[in-house]
Amino acid sequence: MTRQDVLDGIVRILKEVKTVDQEALKNISEDSDFIADLGLPSTEMINIIAKAEDEFQLEFDDDDVDALDSKVSETIDLVMRTQQKK
Amino acid sequence: MNRNVAIVGMAGIFPTCASLTEFGDKLFANESLIRPWGEAVALGKQVRSSVSGYTTLEEAGLSAQWSKSLPGYPDMYFDVRERIPYQYMATADIGSIWAMLSSMETVEMSGWQKKEVESERTGISIGSGGGGHSVLRPAWNSFFNEGKKSRNIGSHGVDRAMVYRDTANVACLLKTQGICESLGSACATGLSNIGYAYRMIRFGLQDRMLAGGVEGTSIETFVGFDAMSVLSRGYEPGKSSRPFSKDRNGFVCSFGGAVLALEELERAKARGANIIAVIDGYHNNADGDGDMFAPSYDGQKRLWRGLKAQVPGLKPDVVKAHGTSTPAGDSIELFSIASELGETGYHISAPKSQFGHMLGAAGAVELVASLLMLQRQTVSPCLNSEELSSEKEWVQEQEHWAGTMEPIAAFRDLLPTHAVKKEINQVVSLNYGFGGTNAAISISRYGA
Repeated sequence: MTRQDVLDGIVRILKEVKTVDQEALKNISEDSDFIADLGLPSTEMINIIAKAEDEFQLEFDDDDVDALDSKVSETIDLVMRTQQKK
Repeated sequence: MNRNVAIVGMAGIFPTCASLTEFGDKLFANESLIRPWGEAVALGKQVRSSVSGYTTLEEAGLSAQWSKSLPGYPDMYFDVRERIPYQYMATADIGSIWAMLSSMETVEMSGWQKKEVESERTGISIGSGGGGHSVLRPAWNSFFNEGKKSRNIGSHGVDRAMVYRDTANVACLLKTQGICESLGSACATGLSNIGYAYRMIRFGLQDRMLAGGVEGTSIETFVGFDAMSVLSRGYEPGKSSRPFSKDRNGFVCSFGGAVLALEELERAKARGANIIAVIDGYHNNADGDGDMFAPSYDGQKRLWRGLKAQVPGLKPDVVKAHGTSTPAGDSIELFSIASELGETGYHISAPKSQFGHMLGAAGAVELVASLLMLQRQTVSPCLNSEELSSEKEWVQEQEHWAGTMEPIAAFRDLLPTHAVKKEINQVVSLNYGFGGTNAAISISRYGA
């Protein structure tokens, strides 16, 4: 799984989240911020992480989840890192 | 400071009805809004009853996104008609959505402007009987039975299930700044919240209140009552709810909601509001007999006396009864009403005969029915009450019974089987709940 595969998976998740700015989603990149750039309410962050676990068939460590900020690149890092541990 | 209070708006979610007008049309056309409920029918022999007055997601203009990882868990509901912004849908269960839709509609009817809504003098008091079961059941199953991590429930398990979720969602949507609370009193909840709102305005603490009750569709709630064997059984849907009838055997568990706009009368007059009715008085109490379930003749008589003390010369043209269609409830209620008002000169209306028992929403939806009776000068019927018992009721055989020994059939003239057109200036609306709670409100035509 490449970083682009993960980004594509995140886009699949976000397309079904109606609180996300779907126009802004068209321009998503690793540098995007879920909250600042995509309009995701901060309370929805944990929902995206849970959906990512489901999407990529992974279980993240709680410490890693607690340490996440709202950068898309950090979520991709987390997915890649957890994938390698499998 | 005792101020007068007007009702200037009403709206709700009514089974099989797309609008308030349709709801009124059906009530006064003697129609039943009760039908077989697919969710209950699908449970087969697990349940005794399978009829309800309910509203589907589609009928309310809603849809749901179901979780892929938690079967049966709504990730989020959507407003297909885009009346409510997404951010407010994310925090809402079905009942809260109904509360928001009803509140928006009743504000529009009231004529309140943005500055009046977004005011410290505008409050919200909307309650529910049930506890967000439809959101919590799949969530708890995921966590406790399947051992999944708590974050699978997501961030909206609490806000969509907390006790005052209906008020909370409406207050966030409308940005009101006044009181923001919910009262719970089982099947009196809807009327309790309206009574509380009335007091807030009457005693000068608020100028405007949105108040009412909702009971979001929930098979879990239905099953709870089915388990008690208190639901009607053995009749076709439209005949299932039959308050006061000889062969009544339980209530029909229904869902819906209503929100009313209350305003201090002088302010409503000053801005030329359409005043639907004025509130003459509200009283509530408890049976005090230590019984969770059984209605109390003494408690209901004390309720009437409390209301009469507030409304000198109280002489309702209609008493909108709680009238659940249960053997015990209807007889005691009828006897307490007749004991306090006499045996002629008014009618008793039982809207549950048409749409069933909406639990925490009942008091609000039935007050809407009462307001429609005032507007249309028509008494809604006690449907299916053609046959009344000429035998003694169980309560009349109790050792300490102090009420009438007449059978229910002796009160035929009070109980119309069909809608009755007549002059209606005052209506008293009654609701009771588990725990022995009782509530009564009197409303009158403005200027009558």
